[in-house]
Amino acid sequence: MVKYVIGATGALLGVLAGAWLMLAPFALAYQNSGADWADPTFVDFWTGLPLLVVSVVGMILYVSGLVEELRRRGIMRRPYAEPAGQPQAPSEPSDNASGSENNMEQVLLPLVTAMLKDMQERDRGRSETHQETPNNVQQARSAGEEGSVRS
Amino acid sequence: MAPQARGGLIVTVVGFFAGIWLFLAPFLVEYQKVGQDWIDATKNDLWTGGALMAFSALTLILFAAFALRDAARDAEQKNTAEAEES
Repeated sequence: MVKYVIGATGALLGVLAGAWLMLAPFALAYQNSGADWADPTFVDFWTGLPLLVVSVVGMILYVSGLVEELRRRGIMRRPYAEPAGQPQAPSEPSDNASGSENNMEQVLLPLVTAMLKDMQERDRGRSETHQETPNNVQQARSAGEEGSVRS
Repeated sequence: MAPQARGGLIVTVVGFFAGIWLFLAPFLVEYQKVGQDWIDATKNDLWTGGALMAFSALTLILFAAFALRDAARDAEQKNTAEAEES
């Protein structure tokens, strides 16, 4: 693993050297801008450009090797990889349908439970208020009886 | 050896030869006369070429050293596993 890091560092230095070689004639002013290129400028520029390109390729190779090594050792996970220990077996469409139903039930279960709890609390509250005012209850009963007689 | 490592090593060797070329270019292209004071371009090429050679050589040596260490470790682990199985 360390070898790839060393290689990538060396390639990075190659990239920097290539970039410097392309800029050096103008930075060190041994090539006047606008004038025809002198021999040192040709040499530096046409050495720097291929060096830059080759070093970038080398750096990509070293980094891809490092990533591959990290994946092999289990330090880095492959993108879109299945989690270990849960192999996904091919399943029938009916299995998928039942699975989606189960998921739906699991999603709805807390909601239904909360609604039931809420309804029970309301019923309890109503019964308590009826117990507190029994006259009202009696009146209602008598009204109901009268109603039944009338009908 | 992994193909990525092989490609990377080739690139490093290319960088080493680029350093040699830069070191010799002022005299081969003859924009630096032998015996005269060095011009700016010559100084730049010699320093850059020398640094490139040094970095490339160091990279090659260290890469080889760590690759050998990894190979030795893998061989030891393989031998240990075989001994445990037998």
